[in-house]
Amino acid sequence: MRKAKLSVSDINKSFYMPGENISLQVLEKIDFEIQEGEFVSILGPSGCGKSTFLNILAGFENVDCGNAVCCGESITGPSPERAVVFQSPVLFPWLDVKENIMYGLKQVGKRKKDAEQLASEYLKAVGLEGFGNYYPSQLSGGMQQRVSLIRSLVLGPKVLLMDEPFAALDAQTRYSMQQLLLQLWENNRQTIVFITHDVEEALLLSDRICIMSRRPGRIIEEISVPFERPRTISLAGSEDFSILKSRILGKLLT
Amino acid sequence: MYKHIDKLEIAGFILPVTLFTVWYVATMEDAVPAYLLPSPWDLIRTAIDFAIASEGLTPYSGELLVHSIASIGRVVTGFGLAAAIGLPLGFLSGRIALAKSSLDPTVHLIRIVPGIGWLPLAMVWFGVGESTTLFLISLASFFPIYVNAAQGASSVSPMLVRAGRMLGASELRIFTTVIIPAAMPSTVAGLRLGLGLSWAYLVLGELTGVTHGLGAVMMDARMLGNVEMILVSMIFIGLFGRISDLLLLGSFRRLNLLKGSYEE
Ligand SMILES: Nc1ncnc2c1ncn2[C@@H]1O[C@H](COP(=O)(O)OP(=O)(O)O)[C@@H](O)[C@H]1O
Ligand SMILES: [Mg+2]
Repeated sequence: MRKAKLSVSDINKSFYMPGENISLQVLEKIDFEIQEGEFVSILGPSGCGKSTFLNILAGFENVDCGNAVCCGESITGPSPERAVVFQSPVLFPWLDVKENIMYGLKQVGKRKKDAEQLASEYLKAVGLEGFGNYYPSQLSGGMQQRVSLIRSLVLGPKVLLMDEPFAALDAQTRYSMQQLLLQLWENNRQTIVFITHDVEEALLLSDRICIMSRRPGRIIEEISVPFERPRTISLAGSEDFSILKSRILGKLLT
Repeated sequence: MYKHIDKLEIAGFILPVTLFTVWYVATMEDAVPAYLLPSPWDLIRTAIDFAIASEGLTPYSGELLVHSIASIGRVVTGFGLAAAIGLPLGFLSGRIALAKSSLDPTVHLIRIVPGIGWLPLAMVWFGVGESTTLFLISLASFFPIYVNAAQGASSVSPMLVRAGRMLGASELRIFTTVIIPAAMPSTVAGLRLGLGLSWAYLVLGELTGVTHGLGAVMMDARMLGNVEMILVSMIFIGLFGRISDLLLLGSFRRLNLLKGSYEE
């Protein structure tokens, strides 16, 4: 059996609400594992604690109890080994595209020349060749999100954490981003935890889907996604896809 | 749309043109005596003479450079001192609760007294002239610099900080590569306010008596009853104030630090 890249066991998380003087339990007894090279989606209704869960994996939030371990080490804070793609691009507006991509490489001590080289390669891979000198404000939302994706990818993270990264994009752009992510994943088999509330997106992209309940969020079911890879958007039209989709929807609505 | 803007811009010219015409007519007809208000033409001649000693009109002819250097030097020193103290303290108090709670009350207490109110005390402490001027400039420009740097640093989007952390930046690097650049729009606004105040307090300080400086020329010319020179000095102070503001703004634009904070 392969060793889990990242695993959490028995996590509880609540937020203290000073106004009402109560604590709001957001996550309850979460157990979760992801293997090397696996693409796992966390699917759940809005407000069920998906972002909170991802923030714990990223090291932005502490747990009340339980363990979160990445590659044998306890998660105590953020690290480029667990790079994040947020729902909005969160690029540095005072840096141009290339500098944004090189930011992380610089922090981890990469030589400037190598960093530039890597940035160009990745820009090319996502179809943004020639945009290196643009500022984020000069790019569309989809392009910004691609930059946000590759500034994390260039770091060669052990796990890539994505929090509804395409939810804010228009349908057209979302499809092309999903396509791009599939294609990148085929090439490098990056380990990815992908948060979404979109059933089709989860089915299209992942090897496995963890369905979360309403708050307090628990993982109520895990589903293996059987579709062959490489996959394309057209998969969404197939009958097997529809059957699985309605099964998941049923689960989400209970 | 464009037509609308044009109209507005033309509207902006009406008042100054009218005032200028009134001024011109009033002095031309000698309705106002020249020792109260010189004609525009006399003023221009005096200004040119002040700069290049073309006619020897006043005791100050050809002395523009000397006085400007003295004044600009004081502004640069006083403002520089305020920025050197105000920026780091502001950034710290914007980010670190302990720094804020130890600095803020004192700063705001001192700020209650308007800068001018410090003049007599400054004259007792530092004597008239040089040191008093520098003290007043630094004191007055410190507050907007400190307050705006703190405000900028405290309102940096937490998402930007998270992004920096997960990309591997240490706490110190977060400070230098995320907090400070993200705080720049507000910080620069504070620096500009401080620079404006520096010129104002320069004049106040120089009026107390320095040998060189545009404020000194103004005070001196008043005693000689030379209104032209008072007005010319005022114009040069205004001009230098404006130019220094543009230089400040321009240099931050160049560094690309005014891109506006990240909108989520
Ligand atoms: N820092 C916080 N403080 C207080 N409550 C929070 C905080 N972060 C999230 N919550 C609450 O926790 C619940 C789950 O939030 P979140 O994890 O963002 O859900 P999701 O990403 O699934 O939409 C929500 O009710 C939200 O209001
Ligand atoms: Mg969320």
